[in-house]
Amino acid sequence: MATRTQFENSSDIGVFAKLTNAYCLTGLSSSSNFHSVFEAELADVIPIIHTTIAGTRIVGRLTAGNRHGLLVPSTTTDQELQHLRNALPPAVAIQRVEERLSALGNVIVCNDYVALVHPDIDRETEEIIADTLKVEVFRQTVANNVLVGSYCALSNQGGLVHPKTPRAELDELSSLLQVPLVAGTVNRGSEVIGAGVVVNDWCAFAGLDTTATEISVIEATFRLQGQTSAAVINEMRDSLIDHYA
Amino acid sequence: MSSVAGLQSIAPVPTASDFIDVVLNMTMRKTPTVIHKNFKISRIRKFYMRKVKYTQDTFDEKLGRIISEFPILDNLHPFLASLLNVLYDKNHYKLALGQLNTARHLISQVSKDYVRLLKFGDSLYRCKQLKKAALGRMATIMKRQKEPLAYLEQVRQHISRLPAIDPNTRTLLICGYPNVGKSSFVNKITRADVDVQPYAFTTKSLFVGHMDYKYLRWQVIDTPGVLDHPLEEMNTIEMQSITALAHLRSAILYFMDLSEQCGYTIEAQSKLFHSIKPLFLNKPVILVINKIDIVRMSELSPENRAFVDTILADKSVISVEASCYSEEGVMNVRNVACEALLAARVEQKLKGSRINAVANKIHVAMPVKRDDVERKPFIPDAVKDRKKYDKNDPDRRMLERDEEQALDGIDIFRADHRKGYILADDAWKYDIMPEFHNGKNVADFIDPDIEEKLEALEREEEALEAQGFYASDDEDEMLDSDEEEFRDAAEQIRKKKASIKKISQEKNTLQNRPIIPRKKKAVSLEEFTNGMRKVGHDPSKLEKRAKRLMEQHKQAMKAAKAAHAVEDDENDVDMDGDLDMESSAGAGAGAGAGTRSTAVASREPRSARHLAGMATQAQADKATELRKFAQREPARLAKASESDRHVPITRPKWMLAGKRKGGKTQRR
Repeated sequence: MATRTQFENSSDIGVFAKLTNAYCLTGLSSSSNFHSVFEAELADVIPIIHTTIAGTRIVGRLTAGNRHGLLVPSTTTDQELQHLRNALPPAVAIQRVEERLSALGNVIVCNDYVALVHPDIDRETEEIIADTLKVEVFRQTVANNVLVGSYCALSNQGGLVHPKTPRAELDELSSLLQVPLVAGTVNRGSEVIGAGVVVNDWCAFAGLDTTATEISVIEATFRLQGQTSAAVINEMRDSLIDHYA
Repeated sequence: MSSVAGLQSIAPVPTASDFIDVVLNMTMRKTPTVIHKNFKISRIRKFYMRKVKYTQDTFDEKLGRIISEFPILDNLHPFLASLLNVLYDKNHYKLALGQLNTARHLISQVSKDYVRLLKFGDSLYRCKQLKKAALGRMATIMKRQKEPLAYLEQVRQHISRLPAIDPNTRTLLICGYPNVGKSSFVNKITRADVDVQPYAFTTKSLFVGHMDYKYLRWQVIDTPGVLDHPLEEMNTIEMQSITALAHLRSAILYFMDLSEQCGYTIEAQSKLFHSIKPLFLNKPVILVINKIDIVRMSELSPENRAFVDTILADKSVISVEASCYSEEGVMNVRNVACEALLAARVEQKLKGSRINAVANKIHVAMPVKRDDVERKPFIPDAVKDRKKYDKNDPDRRMLERDEEQALDGIDIFRADHRKGYILADDAWKYDIMPEFHNGKNVADFIDPDIEEKLEALEREEEALEAQGFYASDDEDEMLDSDEEEFRDAAEQIRKKKASIKKISQEKNTLQNRPIIPRKKKAVSLEEFTNGMRKVGHDPSKLEKRAKRLMEQHKQAMKAAKAAHAVEDDENDVDMDGDLDMESSAGAGAGAGAGTRSTAVASREPRSARHLAGMATQAQADKATELRKFAQREPARLAKASESDRHVPITRPKWMLAGKRKGGKTQRR
């Protein structure tokens, strides 16, 4: 089930939230509206944690994680780390990463099994990612963009990538990630998928500007309604052609 | 605000008289108004020329804006162009704008002429008359534009109320005879709220509604009814329908009323279809049989059926039945129409080149298996039997937002971030942990394995203890004599060293002690005399004097005591005492003055230094004369000395500023 929401009048909710199969982080905001959207969908299933990272609210862009672990940048304060440790389930490992590319959410995209990372990431960081998140790590670009985390949203059931990704690259990435991939947009044509949508294996949240077509592509891609990803080419093909072309 | 796709909003067009008033007012406000007849003639001419030119500029600008704001029909989408043509008559529209353009040229011509004439104006009066004539002629030209301006204002108002029709999007176009149920259908599938009445031509213009189908936004256009007669005889209302049919790439829904309640026979309705059929070329056409709650296709008489079959003879025409009254089949009509249009559009797009740009978006990349690892989704069981959140459910889960809103704006809401902590003991949740302890960051010392490490250390310690690592061994404390001797010597050396150190330090302290001179030292008489005796002097004389002085002192003390006691008793005696004291003070002062005067006398120079070195009186006189001469110039300039470089004010303000009446500057 995909839900549309907004963080303080911004549709780029992926910047302010991080969603995985084991926890959800939301940036601190002046009202509880944003937090409560996640609460309504996820409460009692996974912990939803109010937090800042390095004093900022852009937790989605600064962190990377999955069911096994959470990576935070070196700028994270000790107090924030303590808060996260207390709030996260004990099975989730937290690791602070000394990495020059400190917006980990922009340079890493992962599900519970595979991760794509920015090609210039440190070798040590790569090892930390593999160990903490228990994933296979691939250095890749998405449609010639090095910020794989910004242009990609990934779950164990599917992935949505930059709309300009060529078919050949889609097939290649799909084989690497071992999930079906679809190229698409969010937030009424925005190509920063990572900023527009947060997703896990059973639910997704998209920016408020996201159109009905985009929502249905998201739902089909991530199999949120029990359908298969093939819906994108079967039922929705005509609508998509008419919408995009 | 753009009300119609492709048409910009247009500023209101004033009437001719308003136009003139506005411009002349502006001229008055924005140009100078004061002129005198004794100004230079060039200035007067310039004054009036400016007025004329300004007026012309303003007219030019305002007319120019109107001309540029109204859309040029040839640049619009063909649908909009012909719709505007139908509504406002293209020729009339063009003529009106052309007239305004001509007026603009005429006004600039008038201005040019009068500015030329003003160059030869030889008096204020003549110039003023020329200006008046110029402005008058401009106003007359504008007055003649009364009709075009009024017409354009009407057009503007009408344009702003046109429905926002996007000619390029997915469109369902509904047409048919009047009163066959077109508007009712639009009302059923969209929220357009078109007026529905039981008489013909209720709908007099195009109406637009929107709806969603298959994740897409669709535009539904309701057209006025069309009668079956030649194009030339059609009125404006019908022509709007024809325009939409001709120029919009859309699905055509041709409505038929088989019950003939609309007042037109089935024959007439099918004839109309055939006569406007050329307009349906390359468009999906759906024949909608409306009002099936009254008559269905199957209930039709054979001759009427034949008329309908002439329409259906064309295989591309899809026939659907519906009733807006009973709402039977309405959604089916919509779906069939949408599917047909979507299919047509997709087919057309697949032929074009832009399809390549979206090819990747309609492709699902399926993974090729690269290993045998199974990567299953991870969905907690809690998700499956979780109740869906419904904000209208009274037993719903209380969210943080609900708590926040419950505060009612009186208190500041603070989210409890610790509520969800997952700790070994829930009582620890709100424990306060210091960030710093003894100047050290606590977090730097956090070690998750501290318990195990401590245990390991303790175990090691126990093991060591058991091994006897710490057992002390003071049994063999016997020292042999050699070592004892050695220690003795060392002890002695230490003592000797200490004593030497002490002596040396004491010597230093003696040297550094403050020494009081003998003269200043308090020495008692006895000490003094004893000392004298010891060295062999006789201090008897000294002792006697001391005794005498002591006696005197004692006497004085006694007297003073007595006097003090008397003073306490009587005050008169006190006066005498005061007087005595005064006189003695005066004597003292006199003596002081005397000594001072002698001191002053003694400070006088012992020789006349200005005469020093002079051998004779003549030489001294000569020196005096030279000195006086040398001092004459500095003295005249009031110089303090040779080093005085002060330059006094050379041009004092009081002398040079202000009005000058009698005399000249130097004389004041």
